[in-house]
Amino acid sequence: MNSTHHSLDYVRKDLPVNFKKIGLILSVVGLILVIAAYYSDPVRSAFNNLVFLMLLTSIGLGAMFLVAIEYIGGAVWSTPFRRIAEFLAAVLILVPIAAIPVYLNLHDLYHWTHTDVVAADKILSSKSPYLNESFMLIRIALFMAIWLIFYKIITGNSKKQDESKDQNLTTKNIKISAIFMPFFALTITFAAIDWMMSLEPHWFSTIYGVYYFSGTVLAGLAAVTFLAVYLNEKGLLVKGLKSDNYYSLGALLFAFTNFWAYIAFSQYMLIWYANLPEETFWYLARWGGNWKFVTLGLLVVHFIVPYFGLLSQPSKMDPKRLKFMSLWILFAHLYDIYWLVMPTFSKESFVFGWIEAGFLSLAVGLILLIFNYKASRENVVAIGDPKLIRGINFRL
Amino acid sequence: MSTVDYSQELSVVEGRPSLRELDDLISKPLESKPDKKFFIAISFTGLMLLTGITALGASFIYGTGLWGNNNPVGWGFPIVNFVFWVGIGHAGTLISAILFLFRQKWRTGIARFAEGMTIFAVITAAMFPLIHTGRPWLPLYLAPYPNQHSIWPNFISPLLWDVFAVSTYFIVSLIFWYVGLIPDLAVLRDKAGTKVKKTIYSIFSLGWRFSNRHWQHYEMMYLILAGFATPLVLSVHTIVSYDFAVSIMPGWHATIFPPYFVAGAVFSGFAMVQNVLIFIRKIFNYEHIITLKVLENMNKIILLTGSLVGYAYAMEFFIAWYSGVQAEQFTFINRAFGPYAWAYWIMISCNVISPQLFWFKKIRTSIPIMFVLGVLVNVGMWFERFVITVTSLSRDYLPSSWAYYTPTITDFGILIGSFGLFFTLLLIFTKTLPVISIAEVKAVVDGAQPTHKDH
Repeated sequence: MNSTHHSLDYVRKDLPVNFKKIGLILSVVGLILVIAAYYSDPVRSAFNNLVFLMLLTSIGLGAMFLVAIEYIGGAVWSTPFRRIAEFLAAVLILVPIAAIPVYLNLHDLYHWTHTDVVAADKILSSKSPYLNESFMLIRIALFMAIWLIFYKIITGNSKKQDESKDQNLTTKNIKISAIFMPFFALTITFAAIDWMMSLEPHWFSTIYGVYYFSGTVLAGLAAVTFLAVYLNEKGLLVKGLKSDNYYSLGALLFAFTNFWAYIAFSQYMLIWYANLPEETFWYLARWGGNWKFVTLGLLVVHFIVPYFGLLSQPSKMDPKRLKFMSLWILFAHLYDIYWLVMPTFSKESFVFGWIEAGFLSLAVGLILLIFNYKASRENVVAIGDPKLIRGINFRL
Repeated sequence: MSTVDYSQELSVVEGRPSLRELDDLISKPLESKPDKKFFIAISFTGLMLLTGITALGASFIYGTGLWGNNNPVGWGFPIVNFVFWVGIGHAGTLISAILFLFRQKWRTGIARFAEGMTIFAVITAAMFPLIHTGRPWLPLYLAPYPNQHSIWPNFISPLLWDVFAVSTYFIVSLIFWYVGLIPDLAVLRDKAGTKVKKTIYSIFSLGWRFSNRHWQHYEMMYLILAGFATPLVLSVHTIVSYDFAVSIMPGWHATIFPPYFVAGAVFSGFAMVQNVLIFIRKIFNYEHIITLKVLENMNKIILLTGSLVGYAYAMEFFIAWYSGVQAEQFTFINRAFGPYAWAYWIMISCNVISPQLFWFKKIRTSIPIMFVLGVLVNVGMWFERFVITVTSLSRDYLPSSWAYYTPTITDFGILIGSFGLFFTLLLIFTKTLPVISIAEVKAVVDGAQPTHKDH
C-alpha cells in the first residue's frame, strides 16, 4: 500500500472519439428504424416505445438514486465515481421526450383508456377515478418535474463544488438528497403502476413498486459500474483507482441481484400459493405459448448468471468480470421490462425483430450521446468533493 | 459555515482511551459484585417472568379457554407476541452482519449487545409457537425425521417453515455471537482472578493466543458468518410474513408482506436496542464508546425503516381500493374505522407519524425524546401485529361469524412474562459477558489503524 494520495492527479480529457461515434451511429440507425417501425406497425411500436421509456427511466432514476444515497449514507468509496452517476442521471431529460409517443398511442397500450370498455366493466369503472387519461397525464408530468428539479439541484451543487470546493455544498446536498428519498419512493412506485401495471388494469400487486425499484437500482448501478471500469481503464478518471475501489460496486450489484430475486420470488410465491384467479392470470399470461421459455429465461438471466458471476470476492473486484457482468445485468433489466410489458401486446408468443432492435439501438445510442455531451463539458470526476481523496485512497 | 469536515474520517470512539483502559472498563461489570440496583432490577424482571410462568401454568392446567381466542379469532396474543419478539431480534443481526458488510464502523460499540438481544428475543419468541403446539414436550415432531409413527410434518405449511427459519437463524446468530466473543473471552481469561473463572474462560476461549494467524482465521470466519447471517435477516421475517400472506384472508394476502415485515422487524428491533443502550451507556460509563453519534445513527435507521413501514401501509390501502376486490376494501376500511380503529390509529401514530420527528437533528440527539419515541415505536409495532392478526380474523368473509376479540388477564400475564424473560436474560448477560466487543472497539480507536502519513 504505497499509493496514498494527498493531492489530486486529474487532467480533464475528452472521451475517446469512438464513444461518440458509436453513440451517433446507434442513434441514427435506431431513429430510422423507429420511424419505419411506427409506419409499419404502430401498435407494436407503441409497446416497444414503452419498453424504451422504462429503460431510460430506470437508468436515469437508478443513477439519481445512487447519487442521493451516497450523500445520505456519507459513502466515501463511491465519490470518485459519483460524477458518472450524475451524468447518467441526465438521461432523465430524455424521459419526457420518450414519453410523448406513448401518450400519442395511449389507446393502443392501455385497455382502460377506452371509455366504452370501462363503462361495461364494473371493476374498471370503479378504478376510473385513478385510471383516467387526464389524471395520469397530470401525475406523470408531476413525477417528471420532481425528478428533473432534484436532478438539477443536486448535480448543480456538485458541479459548483468543482470550482469552489465549498464543503457547505456537500451539507446542502445531503439535506436535499434526504428530502428526495420520499419523493423518489412515491414517484417511482406510481410511475411503475401507471406505465406498466395498468397495462393489465384488472391485475394488482402491492409489491410492484418495490419490484421496479429493485430493477431500477440494478440498471443504474450496472451502467455506473461499466462506465467506471471503462473510463478508468482509458485513464479518464483520477489516478490511483484500483480494483479495491471497484469492490463495492461489485458487492452492490451482487446484493441488488439478490434483492431483485427476493422481491420477484415473494411476489410469485404469494400469488402462486394463494391461487386467486384475479391475480394468477398475470403469471399465466407469462406461461402461455412460448412465453414459458422467456419466463424461465428470466430466472437464469436475471438471477442465476449474475449470482454466480459475482459470488466470489475476487470477482467483485476484477475489472474484466465487472464489465461483463454489468453489461449482462443491463441486458437482464431490459429482458425484465420486456417480460413485464410485452405479454400484453403479443399473447401467443414473444416477438423479437427489427422493431425491437431499433428501439434498443436508439436507447443505447442516446445514452452514449448524452453521456458524451456531459463529459465534454464537465469534469468526469467530482474534483471539488471533500471526500474525494479519501475515496481514492479507499482500500479494503 | 460548515460544521463537519468531510475530508476527515470521524472517530468512532471519543477521547482516545488506551487499550488497557478499554479492557478494564468493559470487563469491569464482570469483575465487580452485582450492586443493589442490579438486584432491584432483576427482582423486578423476575417478578414479571413469574407472572408469565403463572399465567402459562394456569393455561396448561385449565386449557386455552383462559385466553381471549374465540371462534373467528383463532390467532390472538400468542401469535402477536411471537411476531413481535422475532422482530425485536432483527436489529442485532442487521447491526452485526449487514452493517459489518457495509463497513459501518460505528456499529462496533453496539454490535455485541444487539446480537445478545437477538438471541434472547428469539428465545422469547420461540416460546410461543412451542406453547401453540399444545404439547411442548414433543418438539421433535416438528423435525422431519422418519419416526415409528410415520408422521411427517406438514411441508406445505409456512408454520413449519417458521420452525426451520427461526431455528436456523438462532443457530447462526449464536455461532456468530460466540465467534465474536472468543478474543474477548481470552482477554477475560488473562485477567481472571479466581481459578474457577480462569478455567471457564479458558475452555470457552478455545486456546486463543492473539497470534497473527488466529486473527487471520478469525476475520475470515467473521466475514463468512456475516455473509451467512445477512440473508437470514431477510428470510426469517419473510417466512413469518408467509404465515399470513400465503392465505387468502383479506388484509393478510398482500405481495408486499415479505419486505414490509422485514422493514418492520428492523424498525422495532432498532428501537428496542436504542432504548436499552441509553441505560447501558449511562450505567456502565460507556458514553465515549456508545456515543451520541451512534444513537443518532440508530435514530436515522429508525426513521428510514419507519418510513418504509408507512410506505407499506399506504400501498396496502391504495391497492385494496385499486384492486376493486370488495373484501379487501372492506377489511381496510374496517381497520381504520371499525371496532378496532383505536388499535389502528395507535399503530399509525406510533409507527408512521411520531418517528418522522427524527428528521430533526435536535430530536435525533436528545436522549429523553429519542427514548420516548423508541418506546412508542415498540408500542406501535406490537399493535401492528395485533391489527393484522385480529382485525382480519374478527371480521372475515362470513358476517354471521363475526366476533370481537377481548384479551384476558391470562393473555396479558403471558405478555408480561415474555418481557420478564427477555429482560432477565439481558440482565444476566450484562454481568456474565462483555457487552461491548473489546477486540473490535480496540480496532476503531483513533491511532489503532496503520497510517502511512510519513512514508
